[in-house]
Amino acid sequence: MQEVSRFGADITIRKLSLYREETVTEAGQAPARPACRASVAAVVTNPWAGTPATTDLSAAVSELAPPLARLLTDRLIDALGGVDRIEAFGKAAIVGTAGEIEHGGALIHTPYFGNLVREFLQGESIICFADSRADAGETLVVPMWHKEHAATRSHYQTVSARVPDAPRADEIVVIAAASTGPRPHPRIGDRTTDPAITAQILEAVRS
Amino acid sequence: MNVRKIITVVEEILTEGGRPVSPAARVAIVAAVIENPWAGQGFVEDLGPGIEDNASAVGELLAPRVMAALDAPAEAYGKAAIVGLNGEIEHGSALIHTLKFGDHFRKAANATTLLPAVEKRGPAGIVFDIPLKHITDATIRSHHQTVEVRLADAPHPGEIVIALAAAAQGRPQQRLAPLTTEQ
Repeated sequence: MQEVSRFGADITIRKLSLYREETVTEAGQAPARPACRASVAAVVTNPWAGTPATTDLSAAVSELAPPLARLLTDRLIDALGGVDRIEAFGKAAIVGTAGEIEHGGALIHTPYFGNLVREFLQGESIICFADSRADAGETLVVPMWHKEHAATRSHYQTVSARVPDAPRADEIVVIAAASTGPRPHPRIGDRTTDPAITAQILEAVRS
Repeated sequence: MNVRKIITVVEEILTEGGRPVSPAARVAIVAAVIENPWAGQGFVEDLGPGIEDNASAVGELLAPRVMAALDAPAEAYGKAAIVGLNGEIEHGSALIHTLKFGDHFRKAANATTLLPAVEKRGPAGIVFDIPLKHITDATIRSHHQTVEVRLADAPHPGEIVIALAAAAQGRPQQRLAPLTTEQ
């Protein structure tokens, strides 16, 4: 909680969970550019649990989301060896069963979180995301893409996030994710190398 | 030893039972996903050569990493071997139940006690619990604890996950009377 107070309001976090994986070999072969992928998850109390669908979410968003953005990106940068090493990013929320998906969206989809995560990770792209409403211990697969050029196909990848005993019904797990490189053996081309493909072209080839 | 990936998990508990935990309780786990040295060989009677080739190497790989991930002196520790579906649990036990493996961790953690362990066979993504006990006195009740782990995409049928876990403290909000009060 001390770390959180460095930026924005003091918020209460029950738990933080870091998951980092480095691929040493894939399909029996070491990657040309080995990458580390990580997710960091923070378990917070859902400030809107049990409130009606008409509740205005904005006040609590501006309080809660900025310190979460700061904390999660600090941990990611630390886990991956520096912001310069981070090439791809993503974000996610798992809402406990007493909340709405909208509550998770409120914490990750506004400028109070998204703009700050982008700024702290020194990216420019829109941040791709996943969300779910689930019982404690469910795994969420978090998508990531390139932090500066979202269409860079080699960097389309995922990392999993899971907190064994969260979210409780009245909690939200807020997640940020990043990767230091591409998939282990990227070889599916890119926009610059793709042939032009339309249904009409494919039909012409078959006939 | 053929390693496919190395996974680090760090769990920090900042509140428990509605009260702050200060400093936050830290537990770190580092797991290596390796090829089962006996995969595809049928029933191997003598596991000695495979142990010789792999047990020390995987212990040496994991011990410094789990201490670095914990970033604090370890007070409790444990280990795990999760065998993919085509292997025997005996294969996982072979790699972790030898001083060749555990002494790397004991040395790195300044520990003296036996490492509590989980051995289990299952599919990729199986959830497993690693038991941890105090590093110099396994009767210290405050440090009996468990951490739950799930690795995405491991172990494959011909693989084994070998993991070490370290905690910087006992249970958050531990408040049980010590064993000596009942003796």
